[in-house]
Amino acid sequence: MFTIAALTFKEMVRRRILLVTIVLAAAFLALYGMGVHYGYKDMGSSHYAGPMQALIAPMFLSLGLYFGSFIIAFLAVMAAVGSVSGEIENGVIYAVVPRPLRRLDIILGKFIGYGLMLSVFSSLFYVAVLLIVHYNTGLNAPVRAGAIVLFCLQPVILLAVTMFGTTFLSTLANGIGCFMLYAVGVVGGMLEQIGHLAHSQVLVNIGIVSSLVMPADAVYRKIVYALLSAPGISFSSMMMGPFGSASEPSVWMLVYTGLYIVFFLSMSIRIFSRRDI
Amino acid sequence: MIIETDNLTKMYGKKAGCREINLSVGEGQIFGFLGPNGAGKSTLVKMLVGLLFPTSGTARILGKPLGDLEIRRKVGFLPENFRYQDWLTGEELLTFHASLYKMSRAEKARRVPEVLEQVGLADKGRQKVGSYSKGMQQRVGLACALLPDPELVFLDEPTSALDPLGRREVRQIMVELRDRGKTVFLNSHLLSEIEMICDRVAIINKGRIITEGALAELLAGAVEVEMQVEGLSAQLLDELSALYGSYQVEGGLVRLSLKNNEDIPALAEAVVRNGGKLFSLNARQNSLEDLFIDLVKVGDEECLQ
Repeated sequence: MFTIAALTFKEMVRRRILLVTIVLAAAFLALYGMGVHYGYKDMGSSHYAGPMQALIAPMFLSLGLYFGSFIIAFLAVMAAVGSVSGEIENGVIYAVVPRPLRRLDIILGKFIGYGLMLSVFSSLFYVAVLLIVHYNTGLNAPVRAGAIVLFCLQPVILLAVTMFGTTFLSTLANGIGCFMLYAVGVVGGMLEQIGHLAHSQVLVNIGIVSSLVMPADAVYRKIVYALLSAPGISFSSMMMGPFGSASEPSVWMLVYTGLYIVFFLSMSIRIFSRRDI
Repeated sequence: MIIETDNLTKMYGKKAGCREINLSVGEGQIFGFLGPNGAGKSTLVKMLVGLLFPTSGTARILGKPLGDLEIRRKVGFLPENFRYQDWLTGEELLTFHASLYKMSRAEKARRVPEVLEQVGLADKGRQKVGSYSKGMQQRVGLACALLPDPELVFLDEPTSALDPLGRREVRQIMVELRDRGKTVFLNSHLLSEIEMICDRVAIINKGRIITEGALAELLAGAVEVEMQVEGLSAQLLDELSALYGSYQVEGGLVRLSLKNNEDIPALAEAVVRNGGKLFSLNARQNSLEDLFIDLVKVGDEECLQ
């Protein structure tokens, strides 16, 4: 299992997947940093400087985390989309499966390899966004281990679904399916926030159902709620609009998310262990 | 027995990949497995190495049922559609496979250069697999299969990408393995290759084994003879007909079939005794190709009936 995990991690580095992601993330963070810096500074010279600045700082934070989640979600899906199907299509797996290891080890090894890389990347990204906002706006959003773990959890959810799809779908079908599923979560999460603002129970219910189908967005809402309701931050996360979190997803949502990951990972092991190659 | 299968069957829906395969392969031999395209050769090998799950029947490899992980440490496999992680170097690829075989660090350090040397890639170990030619990739695949010094090695078309020199080297490797008591299960289209090195063969057609046995026994038997004779008398032709059944005459050339090599002196004597002048006599043993084509043709005709 760890041999496969190490190879998976090495593959991400050798095939420059990690490098390209880091370079593009750096470009994103540079652009984001400039936006935060000049947006906050220029707003300071306006007539409503005080209240507007107090509003824009957390908005910048939620925006950074929101689009960061987006980038990492793409990385999770793109990295793992062909991890089994692609290797069956190109034949690499023919020499691996007959070796003395269980098929379970192949799936778990790949999951650990990708999961580790995504977690390291997510943690760094999260801290970078918080530091950019803090140094440019003075907003004191605390760097909490719990929030970092939740931020890392988002790509892991997608990774589990992608690993599930790659055991029985073609690479292309799996990629399309995973992105569509992610989009369902994102759109549903936004509709839920709009539902809270517009007092529409129907939209809120759509959001709840979509977060059960794909809980990644609900995890993002929990992070935002936790960060923006920290002591010393005097505003409502309602003010963030679709990027905020009007109500905190419960701890049961996290339990559900954990079970969701275990379910898809178990199913991918089960399918791959019985599959003819 | 190194390999034993009992009614091993693989169905793809209603279509049979392999049907009721009963094979026994003993230790220390090169076993050739032949068949036309789509006959089920690779299906059988894939079942034996754990890529496909049998629909019914059982098989034992080195005395253990299919899928036993301890046994897999003693089995090497070179797949037909070989492709390896092209972003690894040859040495890294072998080290990865050595880890999959759970070899110790010391074993890896010893075996990786050894097998690279064995397949003729000693000076190419630090190059990326992606920069290898197709033949070199096949060699590195063979190196992966030989890495654990296996008791049994499955080679599925191991020389398909190699030039004649490479083919000869791989044949030598197979013969060396046999000489060391290892068993080689060779899937190949190259009948001449099988004829050269295999001890036993099985021929599969349309998912069923149509013949199996020692190569020498399968090829023993009918001998085709061509003679150039002057002075073909009616008496001589009558005697040939009485002794050997049908024959063909074309000018001074006579073609006929003998049961075996032992009949040749008697044939020559009959010609001379009946006043014929024998200028040449060429005998040709049935080749594996003749046997293969005859058996596959008969199988196809039976299926049509």
